[in-house]
Amino acid sequence: MSTATASTTLSPDRVSQSLPPARKARPVAEFLSTYVFSKDHKVIGLQFLFSTLLWFLVGGLLALAVRWQVAWPWSDVPVLGKLFAQQGGQMAPEFYTMLFTMHATVMIFLVIIPILAGAFGNFLIPLMIGADDMAFPTLNMLSYWFMWPAFFAFGASFFVEGGAASSGWTSYPPLSTNVASSPGAGMGQTLWLVGLTLVGVSSMLGSVNYMTTIILMRAPGMTMFRLPMTIWAMFITAILQAFALPVLTAAGFMQLTDRTLGTGFFSPEGNIVNNAMQATGGGQPLLWQHLFWFYSHPAVYIMILPAMGMVSDIMTTFARKPLFGYRPMVYSIAGIAGLGFIVWGHHMFISGMNPALGITFMVSTMMIALPSAVKTFNWLGTIWGGRIQFTTAMLFALSFVSMFIIGGLSGIFMAATPVDIFIHDTYFIVAHFHYVLFAGTAMGVWAGIYYWFPKMFGRTMNEFWGKVHFFLTFIFLNGTFFTMHILGAVGFPRRLADAYHYETFHHLQPLNAFMTYCAIGMVATQIIFAINFFWSMFNGPIAGRNPWNANTLEWTAPSPPGHGNFDFQPVVYRGPYEYSVPGVEKDHLMQTDPPNAAEAAAAAAAHG
Amino acid sequence: MKSQSQIVSRTLVGHHSAWAVIACSISLLMCVSGCGSTPAAWFRPNMVEATKQRLTPDQEQQVSTVMLAMFGTPDAPVALPETGLDEAKLQLAAGPVHSDIVGRKNGLYREHCAHCHGVTGDGLGPTAAFLNPYPRDYRPGVFKFKSTERADKPTHEDLVRILHNGIPGTSMPSFALLSPPKVEALVEYVKYLSIRGETEIALMRAFFELDDEAQGKLPETREFLVDEVLTPVTEKWKTAADALIAVPEMASDLDLAASIAKGKELFYGDKANCVKCHGPTALGDGQANDYDDWNKAIVEVSKEVKSGLERAGETSTSGMDSEALAEHRGQLAWLDKFGRVLDGGDALRPRTIQPRNLRHGIYRGGRRPLDLYYRIHAGINGAPMPAAKGTVPPEEIWHIVNYVRSLPYELDGELGADRPMVAKDRF
Amino acid sequence: MANDNSSDGSPKRSRLMGIFWSLLFLAVPVLGVAVFIVAPWYDIWLPKDVSEHGKAIDGLFMFILALTGVVFIATEVLLFWFLWKYDAASATGPAKYIHGSHAVEVIWTIIPAATLLFLAIYQMNTWADVKMRRPAMAASVEVVGRQFEWRLRYPGRDGTLGTPDDLFLVNDLHVPADEDFLVQLKSMDVLHSFFIPNLRIKQDAVPGMKIPVWFKATENGEYDIVCAELCGWGHYKMKGRVTVESRADFERWLEKMYAQQEATQPEPLSGADGAAVALTQ
Repeated sequence: MSTATASTTLSPDRVSQSLPPARKARPVAEFLSTYVFSKDHKVIGLQFLFSTLLWFLVGGLLALAVRWQVAWPWSDVPVLGKLFAQQGGQMAPEFYTMLFTMHATVMIFLVIIPILAGAFGNFLIPLMIGADDMAFPTLNMLSYWFMWPAFFAFGASFFVEGGAASSGWTSYPPLSTNVASSPGAGMGQTLWLVGLTLVGVSSMLGSVNYMTTIILMRAPGMTMFRLPMTIWAMFITAILQAFALPVLTAAGFMQLTDRTLGTGFFSPEGNIVNNAMQATGGGQPLLWQHLFWFYSHPAVYIMILPAMGMVSDIMTTFARKPLFGYRPMVYSIAGIAGLGFIVWGHHMFISGMNPALGITFMVSTMMIALPSAVKTFNWLGTIWGGRIQFTTAMLFALSFVSMFIIGGLSGIFMAATPVDIFIHDTYFIVAHFHYVLFAGTAMGVWAGIYYWFPKMFGRTMNEFWGKVHFFLTFIFLNGTFFTMHILGAVGFPRRLADAYHYETFHHLQPLNAFMTYCAIGMVATQIIFAINFFWSMFNGPIAGRNPWNANTLEWTAPSPPGHGNFDFQPVVYRGPYEYSVPGVEKDHLMQTDPPNAAEAAAAAAAHG
Repeated sequence: MKSQSQIVSRTLVGHHSAWAVIACSISLLMCVSGCGSTPAAWFRPNMVEATKQRLTPDQEQQVSTVMLAMFGTPDAPVALPETGLDEAKLQLAAGPVHSDIVGRKNGLYREHCAHCHGVTGDGLGPTAAFLNPYPRDYRPGVFKFKSTERADKPTHEDLVRILHNGIPGTSMPSFALLSPPKVEALVEYVKYLSIRGETEIALMRAFFELDDEAQGKLPETREFLVDEVLTPVTEKWKTAADALIAVPEMASDLDLAASIAKGKELFYGDKANCVKCHGPTALGDGQANDYDDWNKAIVEVSKEVKSGLERAGETSTSGMDSEALAEHRGQLAWLDKFGRVLDGGDALRPRTIQPRNLRHGIYRGGRRPLDLYYRIHAGINGAPMPAAKGTVPPEEIWHIVNYVRSLPYELDGELGADRPMVAKDRF
Repeated sequence: MANDNSSDGSPKRSRLMGIFWSLLFLAVPVLGVAVFIVAPWYDIWLPKDVSEHGKAIDGLFMFILALTGVVFIATEVLLFWFLWKYDAASATGPAKYIHGSHAVEVIWTIIPAATLLFLAIYQMNTWADVKMRRPAMAASVEVVGRQFEWRLRYPGRDGTLGTPDDLFLVNDLHVPADEDFLVQLKSMDVLHSFFIPNLRIKQDAVPGMKIPVWFKATENGEYDIVCAELCGWGHYKMKGRVTVESRADFERWLEKMYAQQEATQPEPLSGADGAAVALTQ
């Protein structure tokens, strides 16, 4: 691309120059700075994407090991059974606690949070707002590279004495602070805390970048209320991260000092663990829970808002219709984020905190269902009256809505404190969060991958195999997770290595076996996705700038965009989602299409 | 100018080779993961004893073969009639756990016990290293909490009681909620593992007694294996019920307060000398540098290995003839092997034993006055707790029992004037 | 003429695919409701409730199920219907160019808000009954969670906890029926959670805290105690049993257990139900 022939003028206060420096760098240094320590947001976004997809595989395999034990406890585990050869392949119970702990940790901190903000946020934000890169490219590069020490910390924790962290991803003390109570509470837990801190640093660097970029680097004409929903979602998610994360970092540090320096933030007096009296005391286990959930509740919104934004963009493209209720959608995201700060106690209804708080948190938690409901209705309103194209991306986006309805409604049971007395720590909860995080966000992530793949790699993914991938994933995920609601109603608890210890749960074993078969199918289906992904990168049909005929700014750039993104200066004249505008021959108008008199009049008349 | 991402996507691999790479990685993954299932569980040989007896690999092999014939495998146990064990009960406890078959007929031991006590009953299950105290190693045939005299085996009821009550203050849980047939099967299997372990040790020690004619091989005759090796082990189990401790009745008109006062005198006195280990405050802070028998065995062999290495290091090999040199090298090899056995999965790092904190009110062998009588009378087999039998007359043991039972409720004012909490809640 | 992004070939095939996908989404409410209807037939449903406040909790559960069920069916069927009706392959005109409707937004904000607020307020009383309105009575038993067992301590004949005549048991809780029963819940080491599914109670046991739990059991029987907060490798093993029986039987059992605890001569072992365990040799 060459800016020299651009017909627009470069504004003098552009942050970065588009042309690379003229001097010839040494080959190794050039390779490192181009592909490894790149400051180009698109390369960083792809680095995040590849890393997180790899960890997705790790997390998925850990989940299969968990499901195996739940379905057939104490039987010979495939592959992992070799570690327990003397027992005939039967896993040890502390190994099981490690499996589900690391499954959740990997999925939350190494997959979902980085893929939404790090991969999609990085790649899309400058493109969708018309900027040439992020506000702080070096900071951006660092935010990716801070993930690598975290990868090493979490990865290494599997091989230290006592194994990886095994106190649940929630890491409640005293179980997590005391190596006598749990083998993984030794070096494994320390490495876990270190890894968490590093992921936190990476997120903070990212969120600062995203907020600044979105506020300051929008193209001319791109007002806040002309931003696509993806950007609104990324923006508000970044704010959430910035305000919530410091609390987790502080809490993690406190737990680290409890474990290594003998402080007693979370250790109560007079504790006897594994027949050894504890040396320090005067602390409260509940303090950790408050601090942890103060972050981790906003975290769950961090883990879904970007997907909600992406789904809005994808659905409008493939329904050929404007988004129904743009401003309500924006306000809903803000509402979810704001209310998200005052609901953390709903994770702690049974924890021993003052029961009066059970009332207050119940009210706020019930209310947070409202903006999500409004969003769902607006999505339905978006496809109503549309011309729906069933592409793979659209199918995943539709399934996001369908599955989010299930996940969101199941949340109402938990918000009801008396009902929560029964379903807390049962599979009802497991069903709820897997529906919102996997059937929701992960489907949104796949939708985003299929949708923006052409922009990232210049080729489209294979639609047929994409639909096969969708169909099988959809069937298997519902097979795996839907019946967990019923298990929860029975009172089937979480995190049990062997639930059939209880005669009352004996008859649930066939159901659990069925769910495990579905889980195996679900993970195996991802092979199709992996092959499609890598094959299409090199052999897929070449995509032009705008294969989906979408109207947002990224589709005006080349596929993939060069350094500097746009080969012209984007100027924005209209909002996103201008599809099927009456009186216009094409069924969409790009955000950069200037208005003519007739269109302006027609648009004004049609606006509801 | 090509964008960086375009270069990235085109640099690495060509078109068709992408397919090959993907196909190869998947098949490699499948091979590496091992599509086959794990082999059946096996009994781990007692490497500490084998190495201590300086057995050659052939001798170790012979022991394994004989053990296989006499006792079978974890999935298929064998109980010779001389053992007095019920093979049907063993079948119930043995084998892999089959949770997908509701109402399954076996796998009890591996479901409930093996991850701590080990498949072999050697206290070396995967969870064992993280527990305090370590789970019991049945192989020496020593059990702590029983109703028989110190050196004798526990009765059947003793073992059932342990499973029923668990051992409070340790990781051994109560299995009271298991149905009686299952408890019976597990007790039988524990006896089986103990008899098996003791027999293995006896076989390994028997090599030392062999004369030169035997050429380092044990005679594999029924007369030797069953009559000379196995029977002494099983006899002790069969006669356990004959060694019950005779417990005198506690006087029904006993003045409890007076008994407690007398017990206190004895506690602090020289005859029983409880404070030596339990401490003048009864908090268990007397001497704390002793070991129980299982840990002591490891400590002793570790010392032997350490001093052996030191001596071997100091010995200069110059001026040695070939025979002495071979012996020296053999010694080094043996020390090296022992070191590896102790550091590997065949032994746990030794821990000192803590005398009981009597202010807690947690009694491992049971909290009945009767249980405390047993502990004081016979001491605790395998632990440094000595027997009071012979030094303290039986009625006086009851006084000590009553005093000990009052310790958790002694008002803290006894120890410090202005803290009116019950000792149990304070400590 | 609209750009068709589906890569399917003929319009007819496109329409067939549209039908296929719409029906797939219809399967969600159909199968979803079917699972909830069929499950109770297989005894996979709320366990038997034998507590006084359990009725309120189960009632709330069912009420919320009905409410969310209606919303679930309505929204999912609507989703299916829109996919079916507005398939590009069968559409005749362009999509509706509409950015929203203020009136509709107000309606579907106010109604859910009112419903949710009503739900929240409606349940406050039940929560207060179960967790805030403690009966004025001395503790009936002290339950201490420990890795990995439930240690119980009954007050004994003098009715006071913390005296030498306390009865110590493990995992075997007996409760007199039709009486208020107050548990003092503690933990010796890490977090546990005292969960009795059939009594609809659950409370985390927090080390350093003493938390009261109360209930009234209404039917005799034996029920499980489950640990419901990860407490280490043996979390799954923390199984206890609660036996609800008449006051007379309860007293008898207490006496028997106490006599066992005070035994000074060997006697046969008693099982969890107080009957002698038959031993074979």
